[in-house]
Amino acid sequence: MNKTKIPSTPSMTKWRRVYYLIPIVALVIPFFANEYLLWVVNAILVYTLVTVGFNLILGNLGQLAFANTAFFGIGAYTTAILMVYFDVPYFLAILASAVVGGIAGFLASVTALRGIRLYYLAIITLAFGELMRWVYLHGDKVTDGSDGLLLPAASFFWIPLDSEAPKFYVFLLLTVIVVKATSNLMRSKIGRAIVAIRDNESATASLGIHTARYIVLAFVWSGSVVGIAGAMFAVLTERVLPEAFGLTEVIIHFGMVLVGGTGSIVGSVLGAIALTALPEYFRQFPGMDELFFGIVIVLILLFLPKGLVSLLHRISPVFQERYYRD
Amino acid sequence: MYYVLQLTLSGLAQGAIYGLIALSMTVVYRATTVVNFGHGDFVMAGAFMAYVLVIYLGLPYIPAAVLTVVILFFFGVGISRGFIDPIKAGPHIGFAMMSISLGYVLRGAARTLWGREVFPMPRVFDMEPIFLGDLVVTGDVLYISAIVAVLLVVFFLIFYRTTVGTVIQAVYQSERGATLIGVNVQAFHQSMWGVGLAMGAMGGILIAPISLLHPDLGATFLIRGFAAMTLGGFGSLRGAVVGGLLLGVAEQNLGFYVNTALIDITAYLVIVAVLVLRPAGLFGKTVTVRV
Repeated sequence: MNKTKIPSTPSMTKWRRVYYLIPIVALVIPFFANEYLLWVVNAILVYTLVTVGFNLILGNLGQLAFANTAFFGIGAYTTAILMVYFDVPYFLAILASAVVGGIAGFLASVTALRGIRLYYLAIITLAFGELMRWVYLHGDKVTDGSDGLLLPAASFFWIPLDSEAPKFYVFLLLTVIVVKATSNLMRSKIGRAIVAIRDNESATASLGIHTARYIVLAFVWSGSVVGIAGAMFAVLTERVLPEAFGLTEVIIHFGMVLVGGTGSIVGSVLGAIALTALPEYFRQFPGMDELFFGIVIVLILLFLPKGLVSLLHRISPVFQERYYRD
Repeated sequence: MYYVLQLTLSGLAQGAIYGLIALSMTVVYRATTVVNFGHGDFVMAGAFMAYVLVIYLGLPYIPAAVLTVVILFFFGVGISRGFIDPIKAGPHIGFAMMSISLGYVLRGAARTLWGREVFPMPRVFDMEPIFLGDLVVTGDVLYISAIVAVLLVVFFLIFYRTTVGTVIQAVYQSERGATLIGVNVQAFHQSMWGVGLAMGAMGGILIAPISLLHPDLGATFLIRGFAAMTLGGFGSLRGAVVGGLLLGVAEQNLGFYVNTALIDITAYLVIVAVLVLRPAGLFGKTVTVRV
């Protein structure tokens, strides 16, 4: 009798553990990479969290909300302000960024709950991000305006974060924890409810699921994850500038989600790697980075609408996403 | 009082451009339910196209402008055919990203070709300012308002008084119904993309002599266009125009009486205020989803 391949049977879930190998193998990177390369790798870790948080809203909840740069900037400025003015240790600053990011997420979700959806939501959340940038620029008594806020030397508990290698290990730890937590969340009842809301909100509500509660939860979680990314970004760049949180940034985040694969955590990681590393190379030619970015997204949309992660699916059904297959 | 009038006057000229751009976005949105997030860059492309025709090919201004509008029309048809139709079945996220990335390609191309310099567009009508009592009317204000007014009258006459306009209204009301009476809806979508881009290009050509030419020209107009559309009611044609005019006036007055820094964010404040307080805007229909 022919054996048919059934994706995601219990025997296959153990193969998914190959994902655990990725951070373990990554541990050796600092032994090979120079400072610049390691900086790029650190940026990839930051953008991994940015994309994981954004993908939750865009891919899983299916809402066209662009408040991501607002969360990112709020996280970065929270860490910077706490460290500069209050001498708060970095670890606590990260937690604070997560909390404040979550509050920003809550604020963004209020608009969605008021019945503002689709393009309206897209435009109001874009406005939210730009208004925040205006606040960074003009609140110069606290944020130092367009000069940016210079961070003091940071240390994570007893590890001084004075070069790229220690930053790498701290960022890797944070990224693994947050990505694993998000992955678990998406596999729980909450995650399934979030995906159900994307597919049919009325039907989900009719099943007795309190949709508003899950929409708020998704936004708050997304805000926290991206807030943590902001806290990492602040230490990575050592100077928090308003220009890092503009309109173009949110579009790059959007591109990462799309290139990786909407609704997929593995896709988020792939998208962050692809769109952080490659434009870094094109940055030397003015205009080429934009041209490259635009062409890549157009090609992905036309020929690989499910993103890079769908290439993995083709290799083996083991890599199929379990609760949000289309 | 004098300042209010003077500011309102220049606000109206600015607002006329915003209104024209918002109208061009609304035309595409109403026809295809796609919001063109890259529209600002098409406006920029129109301005650059006119610049190339005038400076490199030595065409006089008016033929160059007409030629640009025609080129952008066919460009829009091509975009709709090549990039929007293939992903029609997909989710709205795809449309949003497609329009953004097409804008990126244009902006990247402009920056690769012309670098980071800023170009002055040659003035069209160099004329002495007119004095009406204490009010000063500059040539720019006059010719922008006049041209936009003529364009709007022509647009609304076509829309409400001709057969073509009736067909457009029919498709807006019901695509199925229009298909049944023999309207080629797909071709209609494509030509509406063309019309939208052509009108956007007109806005770009008009604003370029004042705002100078640079690859990032589009971003400011995209947001202003959105704000005008939201204020007037998303999808409403006259709303887009009225919203644009009001936004232009509000920007100038807020900038003068409250704080100059407010000019940059008036559009955002308008978006947030309108969507929170009255999502339907001035002329729109309420289409919010409630569960």
